Amino acid sequence: MSNLEIQIGGMKWKNPVTVASGTFGYEYDELFDLSQLGALVTKTITLNPKKGNEPCRLAETRAGLLNSIGLQNPGVEEFITEKLIKYDKYKTNLVVSISGSTIDEFCQIADKLNPYDNIDAYEINISCPNVEKEGLAFGVEAEVVRELIAKLRATTDKDIIVKLTPNVTKIEEIARAAAESGADIISLINTVLGLAVDIETKASRIKNGIAGYSGPAIKPIALQNVFRVAQAVDIPIIGMGGICNTEDALEFLMVGASAVAMGTANFSNPLITLDIIKGLEMYLGKNNTNLREIIGSFKLQ
Amino acid sequence: MQFKILPIKENRKLNSRYFVLKVPDKSISAQSQPGQFCEIKDLESDEPLLPRPFSIYKVEENTISFLIKIVGETTRNLSQKKTAEMISILGPLGNGFKIPKNKSVLLISGGIGYAPFPFLKNKLQKNGNEIQWLHGGKDKYDIFSYDITNYTEDGSIGKKGLVTDDMPFILGKNDIHTVFACGPNQMLKKVSEICEFYKVELQVSMETIMACGMGVCCGCIIKYAENGEVIYKKACKDGPVFDGRKVVWDE
Repeated sequence: MSNLEIQIGGMKWKNPVTVASGTFGYEYDELFDLSQLGALVTKTITLNPKKGNEPCRLAETRAGLLNSIGLQNPGVEEFITEKLIKYDKYKTNLVVSISGSTIDEFCQIADKLNPYDNIDAYEINISCPNVEKEGLAFGVEAEVVRELIAKLRATTDKDIIVKLTPNVTKIEEIARAAAESGADIISLINTVLGLAVDIETKASRIKNGIAGYSGPAIKPIALQNVFRVAQAVDIPIIGMGGICNTEDALEFLMVGASAVAMGTANFSNPLITLDIIKGLEMYLGKNNTNLREIIGSFKLQ
Repeated sequence: MQFKILPIKENRKLNSRYFVLKVPDKSISAQSQPGQFCEIKDLESDEPLLPRPFSIYKVEENTISFLIKIVGETTRNLSQKKTAEMISILGPLGNGFKIPKNKSVLLISGGIGYAPFPFLKNKLQKNGNEIQWLHGGKDKYDIFSYDITNYTEDGSIGKKGLVTDDMPFILGKNDIHTVFACGPNQMLKKVSEICEFYKVELQVSMETIMACGMGVCCGCIIKYAENGEVIYKKACKDGPVFDGRKVVWDE
């Protein structure tokens, strides 16, 4: 059996496979033992409860899925009392995704979550395209990222993962700002801005209008972003965006990701993460290689 | 809830619009309640990406089946599947109908809204309920059984008109405890108005675009009125069966 163990920031993962925020939760527990994953990532939590956007929130297009959920969540207080305990039994790393509309809000959420030892890392969602103030507004300006991450760094010893949006001109600048201000890990990509038109009504198929696009259609976009960020920073990367099988996961590792996350693919096959863990194991065994040799092995020319 | 990859046992075409997909299964059916659903995906094609939700139509000995209407790519692909070809099934999902005991109940179905009712009728009968069932469709191709009261808009079979036409008369004349309804939103809206007027309990089975099917992604939201405010419910996990008098029906 090949060794899939990997060190990411301050965390030891039993394999480089996790899930994308908002697509997975303890609900999958009925289908398999979630402790088998390298890490679990929660849906994004905000300071106060969020009702989310008006339906319709989903539209499937060729090779992809548009969504505009709007960070629906019960808020950090209810998350702590109702949800956090449900993750206690899993013997794996727990990453809590958080977002806020001000730097202070991000820090307040971290303050409230800091006492809980079963949380290993925060994923800082500065890249959700579907909310007005939160998320994307932070993720597109390097100086704002710098200030946010520096302030968060001062509030917590847990690993800080910064999740980047592909909806920027120079993703390297944002990544560098995150790394230089104390982020431990970078994850990318969040969804790509997208639109689908209902030709009967001449309106967006999603009520909120422009939405976030995910699924296999965005994989090449994600790969080139991961590659560019890997060239720009020295901290580890969790790569995601349209990964559907082991070969996709290997592409992300080769361009420089230390781990991979599945999002939309969980909806097509809720056991996809396990399939990919097995697939990676088989690939490494068959090719008599290891993760260290694979990660970053891609050469552009 | 289970995720299984199963071979098709039988794919029976009813007419140009509908077919019944039957797969061998004991464990999903053993957990299933009327009104629950499964997410089904054709494993031979990557597209469409997401599985689609289908009401559980019938649970028989060692099989579970689904009545499906051809409306898009997934359902067209599934309609062409042959015996022994594989599909994935995730289920049972959601909350089913609440079954009363020894009451008079009325079933209202429209088009493919017929799908969850044979299973429901079975359970209702076992609990000693007296059942009236009205079914409506556009034309004769939307009719599935001659043992119930049928309505077609073109009058090609049964009474000419809408399935809701005689509802006020029936609710006014009989002591109906609960109405069960499944069909297009326009029909459900009308049914809920009539039930509200006659103060009769209404359980509706809702359909929306859906992704995860288990309450994770929050994609399949239904607007619901509770305590004077509009809240969002997840069709997959809080439903698909809801108190029809509380659902907010958009125009």
